Amino acid sequence: MRAQFVLSEIFIGLRRNLTMTIALVVTLMVSLGLVGAALLVREQVDEMKGYWYDKVEVTVYLCGSTSLSPNCAGKEVTQEQREQINKDLSTTAQVEKVYYESKQEAYSRFKEQFKDSPDLVANVSADALPESFRVKLKDPTQFEVVASAFQDRPGVDAVQDLKKALDPVFQVLSRFQLLALATAGFSLFAAVLLVSNTVRVAAFSRRRETGIMRLVGASNLYIQLPFLLEGVIAGLVGAALASGLVAVGKYFLVDLVLRDTIKFTNFIGWGEVIGVVPWLLLLGVVLSGLASFLTLRRHLRV
Amino acid sequence: MIRLENVTKVYPTSTRPALDGVSVDIEKGEFVFLVGSSGSGKSTFLRLLLKEDVPTTGRVHVLGKDLARLSSWKVPYFRRQIGCVFQDFRLLPNKTVTQNVAFALEVIGKPQSTIEKVVPEVLELVGLEGKGHRMPDELSGGEQQRVAVARAFVNRPMLLIADEPTGNLDPSTSVGIMKLLDRINRTGTTVVMATHDAQIVDSMRRRVVELSGGHVVRDQTRGVYGYGA
Repeated sequence: MRAQFVLSEIFIGLRRNLTMTIALVVTLMVSLGLVGAALLVREQVDEMKGYWYDKVEVTVYLCGSTSLSPNCAGKEVTQEQREQINKDLSTTAQVEKVYYESKQEAYSRFKEQFKDSPDLVANVSADALPESFRVKLKDPTQFEVVASAFQDRPGVDAVQDLKKALDPVFQVLSRFQLLALATAGFSLFAAVLLVSNTVRVAAFSRRRETGIMRLVGASNLYIQLPFLLEGVIAGLVGAALASGLVAVGKYFLVDLVLRDTIKFTNFIGWGEVIGVVPWLLLLGVVLSGLASFLTLRRHLRV
Repeated sequence: MIRLENVTKVYPTSTRPALDGVSVDIEKGEFVFLVGSSGSGKSTFLRLLLKEDVPTTGRVHVLGKDLARLSSWKVPYFRRQIGCVFQDFRLLPNKTVTQNVAFALEVIGKPQSTIEKVVPEVLELVGLEGKGHRMPDELSGGEQQRVAVARAFVNRPMLLIADEPTGNLDPSTSVGIMKLLDRINRTGTTVVMATHDAQIVDSMRRRVVELSGGHVVRDQTRGVYGYGA
């Protein structure tokens, strides 16, 4: 196989059909970019779940001077109530571990979390933050058992399940992922049709050459390879551009906006973005290669 | 070399067979004219030799191979042993004479060194020395057909199939092409040529197989074009 011959054929083919090639590459870029976005959203969800599920799952807030819950009746939790709650939590079957967080500890955590917003920290005193028991459950789904047992206890302000608080966030993310995947599916379908059309036009515009190649006994591989590679190269270029698109999107959305505004979780880093790239390349190459191959079988019969 | 045994070919879109019970034997080194009016089955005959089509019934043997048993991936390698020339030359208009001939070798993976050696040789053989850099549209019809013959012969095939090679040429140019095909035949290459050109057939006095309505109606070793011609 003479590589130079094949390469020049590919180059001629792609250039002859330039507008179609551009349309194809752009479609591939957008659709693969969406696939990449969907993959990264999944990574982000995993990241958040890992971050949060490792931590305390249920927080039992105790009544403080600022508590508004009717259960507190405007009174702070007493020493006796605190000890009783601690004891009962520790003996509850579903509970694995109980940590106590004092107002002072809550305040230092708060300061750490919002260290980039000194104005906010300055406006909050240690006394304004509630003390709490942080409870790790043996089975995170058993939240209801603990919540119903403790939320009406004297001295308890509220019982909060972090998982429940995060659920809407996860839901939004998974919907977004679904939407991105569905859109990607449609545009990938369009991309496949475009690949097929590009290859068909290329095969038609070079039917004189392929006719002679058939005649003089060029092998099927030799005849079809330039067309096949034309599709594959378009797929590769589209996937490379899509990877760039995903990286740019990650930089502008995550690094420039989300990381500064949303403090309560980790975000995906460049490692995850780089991890997505091979999949995009693979998908781009396999899809366009397959579409080219099937088209050639129909339109370049030997 | 070539053997057709009771070959019938019916195209799906037609009720009348294009070839109907045709049996022909062609020996190595023969020069055979295939004559007959349009639609008599000449083109189908040639297509079957190249395995561009398969017979509906009957057997086709070419170059010692039963074409029915030749798997499709082997067909290209089989065709490398056969040269083809057509009425419309089928040259690539954007390549020079040399490139056109070299193309046939490039696409079957011959090394560049071989190509550089054999292309000028074959161009000299067909009488086109010094015209290798010309484009096809700068050449006369006869010269273009010589390029096509050069391309068909550059790989030194055992069999040369010519489908009305003089159909687009004037009589004196045709004589030149026939002389060329005759020379190629004398190197031992079998030539099968479909033609309408009575003058050529009559002057060459070679074997003539006449087809009519898909039947072989005449097979003469030193024949003429036809009684009516």
